[in-house]
Amino acid sequence: MARLIRTEKEVEGRYEEVWLVVEEDALEQWPAGARSIVGRPATRIDGLERARGEAVFTADVKLPGMLHAAVLRSPHAHARVARIDLARALASPGVYAAIGPSDIPQLAEECGFQGEAVAAVCADTYAQAVAAVAEIEVEWAQLEVLLDADEAIKRGEQHGEPRVQARGDYERGLADADVVVEGEFRTQVVLHNSMETHQAVVQWIGETLEVYISTQYIWGIRDEVAKGIGLPPDKVRVVCHYMGGGFGAKNGADDYTFIAIELAKRTHRPVRCALTRREENLATGNRNATIQRLTIGAKSDGTLTALGGEYVNAVGWSGWTAPTEGPMQLLYACPNVKTTTWGAKINQPPMKAFRAPGFVEGTFGVESLLNELAAKLGVDPLELRRKNYAHSDPADERPFSGKSLMECYRRAEPHWERRHEVRARSTGRVKRGVGMASQIWYGGGGPPGYAWIRVSSDGRATVVTAMQDIGTGTKTAMAQIAAEELGVPLEHITVSLGDSARGPYAAISAGSSTTPSMGPAVRAAAADAKRQILEIAAQRYHLEERVLDLRDGKVVSADGNLSSSLEEVLGLLEDAQILGKGARGPNPTGMQVLTFGVQVAEVAVDVDTGEIWVERVAAVHDVGRVINPLGASSQIEGGIIQGIGHTLSEERLSDPKTGRILTTSLDAYKLPTFADVPEIVSELIDEPDSHLTNLGSKGLGEPPIVPTAAAIANAIRDATGANVRQLPISREEMLRALREAEARARDKEKRGAPAGV
Amino acid sequence: MELRQASSVSDLNGGTPLHGGTEVVPLIKAGILRPHELVDIRAVVPRGIVGTRIGAGTSLAELEASERVPEALREACRLAASPQLRNMGSLGGNLLQATRCWYWRLDWPCRLHGGDECFAREGEHREHAIFANGFCASAHPSDLAASLLALDARVITSKRELSLAELYRLPTEDDRSTTTLADGELILHVDVPQPEASTYLKAMERKRWAFPIVGVAAARTGGATRVALSGVAPIPWLLDGSLDDATPLPRNAYKLEIARALVERATTALAPG
Amino acid sequence: MPRISVNGHEHEVHAEVGQSLADTLRDDLGLTGTKIACNEGHCGACTVLVDGIPTLSCITLVHAADGAKVTTIEGLRDHPMIQAFVSADALQCGFCTPGQIVSAVSLVAENAEPSSEEIRHAMSGNLCRCGAYPKIEEAIRTWRG
Repeated sequence: MARLIRTEKEVEGRYEEVWLVVEEDALEQWPAGARSIVGRPATRIDGLERARGEAVFTADVKLPGMLHAAVLRSPHAHARVARIDLARALASPGVYAAIGPSDIPQLAEECGFQGEAVAAVCADTYAQAVAAVAEIEVEWAQLEVLLDADEAIKRGEQHGEPRVQARGDYERGLADADVVVEGEFRTQVVLHNSMETHQAVVQWIGETLEVYISTQYIWGIRDEVAKGIGLPPDKVRVVCHYMGGGFGAKNGADDYTFIAIELAKRTHRPVRCALTRREENLATGNRNATIQRLTIGAKSDGTLTALGGEYVNAVGWSGWTAPTEGPMQLLYACPNVKTTTWGAKINQPPMKAFRAPGFVEGTFGVESLLNELAAKLGVDPLELRRKNYAHSDPADERPFSGKSLMECYRRAEPHWERRHEVRARSTGRVKRGVGMASQIWYGGGGPPGYAWIRVSSDGRATVVTAMQDIGTGTKTAMAQIAAEELGVPLEHITVSLGDSARGPYAAISAGSSTTPSMGPAVRAAAADAKRQILEIAAQRYHLEERVLDLRDGKVVSADGNLSSSLEEVLGLLEDAQILGKGARGPNPTGMQVLTFGVQVAEVAVDVDTGEIWVERVAAVHDVGRVINPLGASSQIEGGIIQGIGHTLSEERLSDPKTGRILTTSLDAYKLPTFADVPEIVSELIDEPDSHLTNLGSKGLGEPPIVPTAAAIANAIRDATGANVRQLPISREEMLRALREAEARARDKEKRGAPAGV
Repeated sequence: MELRQASSVSDLNGGTPLHGGTEVVPLIKAGILRPHELVDIRAVVPRGIVGTRIGAGTSLAELEASERVPEALREACRLAASPQLRNMGSLGGNLLQATRCWYWRLDWPCRLHGGDECFAREGEHREHAIFANGFCASAHPSDLAASLLALDARVITSKRELSLAELYRLPTEDDRSTTTLADGELILHVDVPQPEASTYLKAMERKRWAFPIVGVAAARTGGATRVALSGVAPIPWLLDGSLDDATPLPRNAYKLEIARALVERATTALAPG
Repeated sequence: MPRISVNGHEHEVHAEVGQSLADTLRDDLGLTGTKIACNEGHCGACTVLVDGIPTLSCITLVHAADGAKVTTIEGLRDHPMIQAFVSADALQCGFCTPGQIVSAVSLVAENAEPSSEEIRHAMSGNLCRCGAYPKIEEAIRTWRG
């Protein structure tokens, strides 16, 4: 029976209460450990078409009569359109329509960042559209540019009120401390740079709008577009079968989709609006820069007495204030914690969620400073973390639905022990060391989420749901779950996703939520189908339903007398089908659902040139039950590699006077290459979270990127004694930190103290 | 825009020469180059290595694979650009590539583009020049040019023969170009004397496929060592004085520190015995 | 008009000077396996073989490819490297994958058993934002099955 409940929903660390209709979620979790299909490595069910170049991405969609849009974007970081004339653009060769700020709300008259969309045209070819955009006459009234985040806070230019979170008595905790360490940490702006840029192709068919879009949230686009243009949601069909990367930047419809819709409406033609790489790196979001002023107080045995953080997120012109304080609030059982987080509104492109927003930046700060504390106390950094282990949510005492971080620490020990041998390989100019950092993040997913499954008389099944696989392998994971529950071989499962018109609501692929949100729904749908199959078999073979089961593609009876292939059992149905449906149940009430882990990095540092080599990263994470160990290891590797880019080479730069962006191309903005990748060793605890859904699985998309920067920074400190305080750890920052450490050591020597790290 | 095949090395007639296209095509796409005519010079520019003479049409990939070219040049090729760019790009084109200065690449009206301001000096200049940066702080990105400068290579063009050093000039108020090549003049060959020993060391922001923060080439000939640097001045920089003569900007003094370390390493590596 | 041979088929191309080989392949010939991710020669997604050599098709003018033999991912569909990528899970979103495979095929044609160092050097012009590099290395090491 359907139940109406009120439940908490979390995405990327943001909570809201929602009403929810749920079916009974009566399925018991499978026992821990690898099942026949779930928990065993599976290659991607859509691997071949992606490898062969047959997969049709949004970038490859070509509709008959399709026009191409180009967008005029503000060249200034802050300016108002004083006058705009589209006439010459409209008269340009091949042009069908042109729109400006008075036409749709996504085109702005006052632009708060370079790259904000102002006007757009569409033409037969993209080249013609670009040429026409150059013909648009605009007079700009330039406005004052505010770029400094601290200054913005001072002036009250903020996104919302500052977020203050406190427990215990922070000042008292500081007073009680034997040792206090402080540091100001800064992190840079990082660009998502999905290989497929943001783009959409739209067409009107009668009263229905079809939107082909590179997105992480088919259903969200459907609702956002419907609301935006006043259509009933079911009149909007959103399609994304293959998606060339998102990392958090593709959760919404954005300017380009609405531009394409308006131009398609005006021209009665399909319209493509695709961003260039350079537009992508201006206008589609970023991981914002942060300033973190942190304080940690502890007793001489390492017991934490106070944690304090003042966090300034340089959010940009729009966006939200990500939980940079999250790791400080959640990681350790410290009684006295006070954090304040501001979101600065400055004339820079808007932030968007980027793979564990806030937590990546915040973990770098707090986990780096924690190792400075360990060095000061002469306490082993791993022991320090164990000593302050949080057995329940330190903020509100809620129990964790599952937490195996201690087990992660235990399994990380062999990697941590390598530090003696690694350090011993140092030479005069190349110093080696090992660092570790803990990971905490969300990833429990949540309702709603629905799946259907249809089983045909040939015993093969298709899972139908309007979710998307953004490259993480969730399509394969859903097939594994369905195959496991139905007891059929993996290759007998097809998964139909990527189309809002062909399946029920499915959750966003953000916040590490696709598998934990959708997996339970798929299992429930398969169980529903299985129940019906067994009912049919019971009638057909005159057996009691309860003695029957589905295994290895066969209906079997408990006494072993019946063993008939599914095809045989269902064969008589001919064109009739078994239809199962399933819904995602609620998360456990009163519990905190989080993911955990630890990473251990080994680095070498050239102390003369500041060159850094990340030589090895070992990762141990706890995300509950693992559906596909092969795909999971790929997720971990990918997260660590993005983390290495974030730590060492990636930085979006803007001109300090004008706020115009300087690193929009991929020669200037340096993503990690093949040659930047270390040896990566990964391990998952693979213990189902017994309180979470019928699977016990959490998401793994984001956790692996969370601790990488801190682990590397801590390894650098271990190798050299240098306290790096800034990301990226460029040559400049590395050399600064090295010279500062040398000065500190000289100073200590002078004072007769031992020159420790 | 038109494209035609060059019939000879003196057949440019005001057209823009096109070889591998790795520089010209992106600059056309970015709107920085607007040629009326492209002249495909691949058939007329020599390619390959004969003795110490290298055809300007030889690709970086071919040089990287050749055991006959001095180590400094080979290493400079190995660490330059990406594999595909090394397959496409030619020696001559590499020597004539423009700066990676982001202001220049984004077509800000800077001095190199004929304007009256160097935006990098007052702006974002962490990748910029630490020598000769008073007028324009752009940094020359060619790994090969630094190595050939250290190797004291000579350049044979369609009009003359000159030393590699003479191929380059610092931009000035009156003339913003960074090379001395005349209109219609093509580089045909580079003569690279065999040194006793040579090396190229490169600091970059990732392990491959990045332009130099600082590249240091050194070559020892007749007991004397010549050192040249990439990424430190608007043109390839022969170190004939001291690194103390550098004039770093507020945010790029770290380059000098790297240069000191690499120059010391390179010269030590080449020390006889 | 330039003539190019693509995967063994001759084509006469009708295009203005300035059109890239990548646009010709994708828009005129419908071979969308070749991807454009940066369109200025920085990322390697558009890599195709031109006369057997890995080449960035987004910065190759189609008029400058007159007479060339071009091999795209569509021409490699039976190459064992394809299955090696699938078996090793050497792809995530898959957008850079065709370019990766073209570079990998060229590498093993020269050097059937490249070392880890050789793989990392030869593949460094193909960026993968998902970070599939370790699995790509495994695919290249095991491409013959």
